[in-house]
Amino acid sequence: MGFGDLKSPAGLRVLNEFLADRSYIEGYVPSQADIVVFEAIAAPPPADLYHALRWYNHIKSYEKQKASLPGVKKALGKYGPADVEDTTGAATDSKDDDDIDLFGSDDEEESEEAKKLREERLAQYESKKSKKPAVVAKSSILLDVKPWDDETDMAKLEECVRSIQADGLVWGSSKLVPVGYGIKKLQIQCVVEDDKVGTDMLEERITAFEDYVQSMDVAAFNKI
Amino acid sequence: GPEELALLERLLGLPKGNKYGVQGERKVPVLQTNNGPGLTGLMTIAAHLVKQAKKEQLLGRTAEEKAVVQQWLEYRVTRVDGGSSKEDTRLVLKDLNIHLEDKVYLAGNMFTLADILMYYGLHRVMVDLTVQEKEKYLNVSRWFNHIQHYPGVRQHLSNVVFIKNRLYTNAH
Repeated sequence: MGFGDLKSPAGLRVLNEFLADRSYIEGYVPSQADIVVFEAIAAPPPADLYHALRWYNHIKSYEKQKASLPGVKKALGKYGPADVEDTTGAATDSKDDDDIDLFGSDDEEESEEAKKLREERLAQYESKKSKKPAVVAKSSILLDVKPWDDETDMAKLEECVRSIQADGLVWGSSKLVPVGYGIKKLQIQCVVEDDKVGTDMLEERITAFEDYVQSMDVAAFNKI
Repeated sequence: GPEELALLERLLGLPKGNKYGVQGERKVPVLQTNNGPGLTGLMTIAAHLVKQAKKEQLLGRTAEEKAVVQQWLEYRVTRVDGGSSKEDTRLVLKDLNIHLEDKVYLAGNMFTLADILMYYGLHRVMVDLTVQEKEKYLNVSRWFNHIQHYPGVRQHLSNVVFIKNRLYTNAH
């Protein structure tokens, strides 16, 4: 960070480039950051560095209020573009601030405190997340179980279906739905853990009751 | 138009209650007053609201500053609202880019009504600019980005994104 040697033309050029699309050194209001840089410049920048000159004249107009501007003065090397080597001898900040920011975040440069706070919060969030139990993938399935004919004992059929037990399978409510010619199908709900129970397995076990069950279909399948 | 005046009212901290209408083909805003025909014209109403809110410094402090503020308000109504072709818009952006080269705000060193109304007036233009155009009118982009971050100005309007790294030009 830093602008290099602000008393040299090269340093002023860095400052000029930096200020091309910024009104202030930091953020959107004049602050101590501007005062620090202002005081590091020997004289008004030359006319060809017109962004720096614009900024210089603007900050000069705040001369009388400079003590009351917001912010805290940092070392000169802490301001400016991230990719410039800090020649002021102050500790360098390794964070690269000038990445292309496609989402246009509001904070141009985070202050040290804000950064620390954010990192603290991130650490807290990560540890909280790791403590949460793994979420089990479950699905709610609605099955249509069809009997052979209208004489099939539907109560017995249901009993058979519900007798199917498996780890990760929970039977829900059911009802009888007429399908025509006096035949009724059993529509029954179940909740399964995706890892443990699949519809193939259910179909196999239900259709195993050959006396009662003609076929089984999945009427509806929803992830929960 | 009237929506803009509502935004301005909120920015100024004025209580709601003013009634606005529009007049004519050009949809000139009208502020209905208790007695009389009402106040007509965006600039007129805006200036009136500023005074109502007792924030006259937004109209400029010195006589010269006041004149400059008026100049840009007039520019906004005649050139920005009045001009509707791509060419008109291009000229406006060019003008503003030159003017803003050595200024942080339209009137110089202070935030004024000129910045507010120019921001609202240009929002629909800035929203549609390409990255290349935003770089071309670099000073306008800088100024626009600054104003949209000024507390209370943007409200529900969309944030226009300006990329930090220059993609098309290297040196200035």
